[in-house]
Amino acid sequence: MSEYNMLEVNNLTKHYKVGAGKQVVHAVDNVSFCLEKGRTLGLVGESGCGKSSCARTIIRIYEPTSGQIILGEQDITTLSQKQLKPIRKKMQMIFQDPYASLNARMTVRDIIAEPLLAHKVVRTKEEANDYVYPMLERVGLTKEHANRYAHEFSGGQRQRVGIARALVLQPDLVICDEPISALDVSIQAQVINLLKDYQEEQGLSYLFIAHDLSMVRYVSDDVGVMYLGNLVEMCESNEIYKNPLHPYTKGLLGGIPIPNPKLARQKITSSIEGDLPSPINPPSGCRFHTRCPYAKSICSEAAPDMKILESGHSVACHLYE
Amino acid sequence: MENKWDLLESSNEDREKIWTKNRTFAGDVWFRFRKKPTAIAGFVIIVLLIAFALAGPLFTSYNYSVQNLEVVNIPPIMKVYESPDEKGYLYITQSIKVVYVEKDGTLGSQLKKVRDVAKENITIYDCNGQEVALYYEQKPYLLADPESKIVYNIKHIWNKSFILGTDSLGRDILTRLMYGTRVSLLVAFVAALVNMVIGIIYGGIAGYLGGIVDSVMMRIVDIISTIPLTLYVILIMVLLGTGLKSIIVALGSVYWVDMARVVRGQTLSLKEQEFVVAAKTIGSSTRTILKQHIIPNAMGSILVTVTMLIPSAIFIEAFLGYLGIGLQPPLASLGTMCNDATENLRSCPFQLFIPALAICIIMFAFNFVGDGLRDALDPKLKK
Repeated sequence: MSEYNMLEVNNLTKHYKVGAGKQVVHAVDNVSFCLEKGRTLGLVGESGCGKSSCARTIIRIYEPTSGQIILGEQDITTLSQKQLKPIRKKMQMIFQDPYASLNARMTVRDIIAEPLLAHKVVRTKEEANDYVYPMLERVGLTKEHANRYAHEFSGGQRQRVGIARALVLQPDLVICDEPISALDVSIQAQVINLLKDYQEEQGLSYLFIAHDLSMVRYVSDDVGVMYLGNLVEMCESNEIYKNPLHPYTKGLLGGIPIPNPKLARQKITSSIEGDLPSPINPPSGCRFHTRCPYAKSICSEAAPDMKILESGHSVACHLYE
Repeated sequence: MENKWDLLESSNEDREKIWTKNRTFAGDVWFRFRKKPTAIAGFVIIVLLIAFALAGPLFTSYNYSVQNLEVVNIPPIMKVYESPDEKGYLYITQSIKVVYVEKDGTLGSQLKKVRDVAKENITIYDCNGQEVALYYEQKPYLLADPESKIVYNIKHIWNKSFILGTDSLGRDILTRLMYGTRVSLLVAFVAALVNMVIGIIYGGIAGYLGGIVDSVMMRIVDIISTIPLTLYVILIMVLLGTGLKSIIVALGSVYWVDMARVVRGQTLSLKEQEFVVAAKTIGSSTRTILKQHIIPNAMGSILVTVTMLIPSAIFIEAFLGYLGIGLQPPLASLGTMCNDATENLRSCPFQLFIPALAICIIMFAFNFVGDGLRDALDPKLKK
């Protein structure tokens, strides 16, 4: 256990105004969590549940509506973009789409050198080579790749270039916004193992966002489950698979295919009916009550608080009052 | 390999190797550009035009402004009469003079007038000691033997002295065409450069900042683009005097609005792209983001807009010249040449046809190149 948390998020809220500004999308609502140094927090949930908004608000591409983001020991919630610049060196992001997140007009060398030049770690592109070449080798590419343009690479190679760009500054925290969902299964493992190895070496922390629960289980120490902008359950990684508490988590886990057909037959199938409600008008009370098989009358009236049950397992559900 | 069931050797290097040839962006564009015959044709024509306009005047013995009233309105293909000694030809000019023409088509000197026979409407000229009669009673004028009244043989030959003929002041059209093309290309490139610089900066800022800044900046663009260009040119000419400078200033101050719109649109869409978001999370400055990410990616549309803008700038210059508010005589531009030619359009249509054809060729060439560039610059079409 470290002496402080790498990242602490308190009651983070992000609302978007849409249309003529009258309607509000509740993308992230009241999300709180801690990420300890050297550990990985997985954030899972359906598409549109606010995972990416959460990540992008934490890295301050989007302005938070309210709440608090503490990186290390510094509150970065209200810093201006100029004040954020030294902070950005400690906090980097890996993007979902390796095709869209690399500039097609730049060589791989320039892509990886960009953070070095932006933070004046090096002055010239020639100096940057001393950092770029080892980094390329670290992600399994070679010197020869440095002069290539991003569009010449395969998806897995591109994502590794994106990883090299995020890691070249040796950040303390890397936010991985679905880094593997655009890749083939065989390449997913390659990328994940690279990230894990690097974590062991450097002791950095990951906020790992995904919708693939089986991959999250493999990488994460802790897992948080999001539903419609809310964090509904959070606990240690293995615990959540063994003992899911929130009805939504149970439903999500019911969606994972199990390789062994004998086990699969024994599995209690619990699936979630219906579609995700609109985040413009989220349901009152517990946001999951419209789809929850166990919904009670209180569920539509009061929003449940996050409660810590035994063994560090927290859940926001009226079933566990 | 004897046993075909053996595993092939594979190293990590092979797996990661990129087998395509390493090409720079420019090399890649050129590779795709040259696949298109029309684009290459346009490119070659532009290169030839530049050579024609810049180097051409070195090879001509005429000056674009010196008038020679002895050889007025001579066409490139002359209707000539065989001289009585059959060593050359005779050509009747529009001012009813007779000019001696060598066998190869070069113009010689004017024949000396011997006497006028007003009664018969003929003039007798002296051609190397022999007399020839010019009958000017009715058109077409004829040259005939004064005794036998037999008309000399008529032939059509190429004008070697003035390959494209002369204009109404006896100036060589080919030479004037070189200077005219030079003016057109100069206007084109200066207009393109000014438009690119202003348009990229203006549109880039409007698009990147967005919101109220964008609205205000684009309304200014709207206002500028609603005022007719000719009005600007006339106003600027009042300020700066007539001449090439005024045209360039006028084109430069107005024509960038299209470019600004294109760049703004591109910037608006590009700034939402993930690689721009990535650059922001890295901590790159706004300057770097615009310079490294947004403008290079918008360069395709920018270049296409420029190559499409060049012909219209050339056309505007020619149009202004034609209206008489462009270059002032004796300077030559394709537009003023057309304007001069309209006076005697019926007798000398070639004077209008030649500069008009030059305008067409220039515009076609730039349009073809623009078309080819648009295809070549789209990286998604990479083969």
